[in-house]
Amino acid sequence: MLTLAWRNLWRQRRRSLVTAGAVGTVVTLSILYYSLGGASTNSMYQSLTEGTGQIQVHVTGYRDLREFGTLLIEGAESVRAMIEASADGAEVIGVLEVPSLLAGEDRSRGIVLSGQDWTPALLDRFIDQSLSAGRFLEEDEFEGIVLGEALANALEVGLGDEVFAYAPGTEGFGAAAYTVVGLLDLLDANYEGRAAFIPLGAAQELAAPGAVTRFELHYPELVRLDQDTKIATVRDELRASLNDYSVESWQELNPSLVRLLDAIGPMMAALNIIFFILAGLLVINTIYLSLMERIHEFGIIISLGANGRKVMSMITLESVLLCVTGAVVGTGAGLAGVAYLSRGFTFPGLEEYYASFGLNPVFYASITPKQVLFSIAFALATGILAALWPASMAARLEPVEAMRFTT
Amino acid sequence: MSTIYTVKDLKKTYRVGDVATEALRGIDLKIEQGEFTAIAGPSGSGKSTLLHLMGALDTPSSGEVWLSGRRIDRLAKPPSAQLRLWNIGFVFQAYNLIPVMSALENAAFVLELQGVGRRERESKALQALAALDMAEFADRRPNQLSGGQQQRVAVARALAADPQIILADEPTANLDSETGQSLIHYMQRLNTEQGVTFVFSTHDPRLLNQVTRIIRIEDGRIVQEEPVQAA
Repeated sequence: MLTLAWRNLWRQRRRSLVTAGAVGTVVTLSILYYSLGGASTNSMYQSLTEGTGQIQVHVTGYRDLREFGTLLIEGAESVRAMIEASADGAEVIGVLEVPSLLAGEDRSRGIVLSGQDWTPALLDRFIDQSLSAGRFLEEDEFEGIVLGEALANALEVGLGDEVFAYAPGTEGFGAAAYTVVGLLDLLDANYEGRAAFIPLGAAQELAAPGAVTRFELHYPELVRLDQDTKIATVRDELRASLNDYSVESWQELNPSLVRLLDAIGPMMAALNIIFFILAGLLVINTIYLSLMERIHEFGIIISLGANGRKVMSMITLESVLLCVTGAVVGTGAGLAGVAYLSRGFTFPGLEEYYASFGLNPVFYASITPKQVLFSIAFALATGILAALWPASMAARLEPVEAMRFTT
Repeated sequence: MSTIYTVKDLKKTYRVGDVATEALRGIDLKIEQGEFTAIAGPSGSGKSTLLHLMGALDTPSSGEVWLSGRRIDRLAKPPSAQLRLWNIGFVFQAYNLIPVMSALENAAFVLELQGVGRRERESKALQALAALDMAEFADRRPNQLSGGQQQRVAVARALAADPQIILADEPTANLDSETGQSLIHYMQRLNTEQGVTFVFSTHDPRLLNQVTRIIRIEDGRIVQEEPVQAA
């Protein structure tokens, strides 16, 4: 029956090729579309987790606390050791954010002074993307500070100038002088007006010796959303071992963005369904025309003893064969496209637009086997569904009337 | 000889709008196993309609058709398809081969519908083609065969599945004199040598001269039944 179906498709070679080509094009587009969606999703995931880490540890109830002292994780090094013991492979960053008054010679501003240690990879990327003048800080450089350009402008300071930080009511020195060693050009202008970085040790000396306000756990090997499978497990293990602290995954830290990411999959599926419906209409047309041209022949087949189910299966097989042929070619073309785009691509003219959202303007197409199978399954379903109407029509043919039918 | 077909008071009326056309007006007949029988009559006399009703291809307006003790005139679609598949072989006037299949594949088609495995069905189909001297054309497509050869493939298709009876609707109508005579000869040989039962609808005198029984119908009624004679 497979041979018969194949030969029947070749009767109207041109029409079958056009239809299979349409199905193939839809499968190619579907795969490319999934891979571009994957590229966007991964870019968002990467940008987000680079900024916040995959997991953060705070004091319990930190969202409702206002006093600086109550936000502190005391004995930070022992807590860090506990985290590192539970979270194998994570790069743990301590962050101490100190509400401060930062003053230049004539002007001052209230900011949150950020003291943190960096992983080498994160620091390299941050310097590449943001450092506009000077240099970044060494880990043990307690007298240096890096400011956002907007903040430096507001304070009327530049490279080599001194600024003074006041953090009254804290347990550190409460005040310190720093030399501006670098300036940052940040994507978010508001943030640039408040951004000031010093090493973690300097911040602890200023405001909270041996304490941090949070730990971030970074997994640099996780660059795609679909790789993010172990985070929930690590979070749960950390929760079990760090009873007195709040442990949250990046999803819990960014619920609105997670909702957006969650919506991307169904949106892509919905658009795919529309693509396949359009291809399905073309397949219906082809199968229907093929049936109309062969009513007489189906009359013979029914006369010879084929039952309705057999006739339906013959027509469905033709439709499925048409779609599978298109799907095979389309999958090949789609995967070749993904392979090419996976080396990195940009949307010309939109680089700045993406950068303004903190996204890397270079995208890397990626697709999961599940998404490829999904596209092929869509093509198969299209073949089956498109055949239903003509096939049921053929199954209901009366043999004598059908044999009298001439095109 | 056992009775294969019993037809009782069979009537068929076609309706187109308000116009009713009586194709059959009460047919009674019996067909015995091994017969080589023709239903003869002019065009429009109802002979093809009778053959369709006997083949469960259509349903009568009233009356009964019995095939080997089973009533078949009121069967639903699935059992009537089963009946045709397993019990009846058909040969049509216009050959009606499937154009994208070879002669062998056409001859094996009914067996394929029966679910017979490839090797067995090809062996049986080849046997049937050989019985009609068509084995050497097994790989040819219908458009590579003459009309007479195509009709022999159609007979082979009907024969291969070893049905109880072969119903042939004007099988020689589209064939020239020599080819028609040759086909009749082949079918006659199948009848005498293998005991295959044939019922024809025809008005071809070449065929009428060779059958063992002629049932003449006119205007949907049997008007004459000539006695069975030796072929």
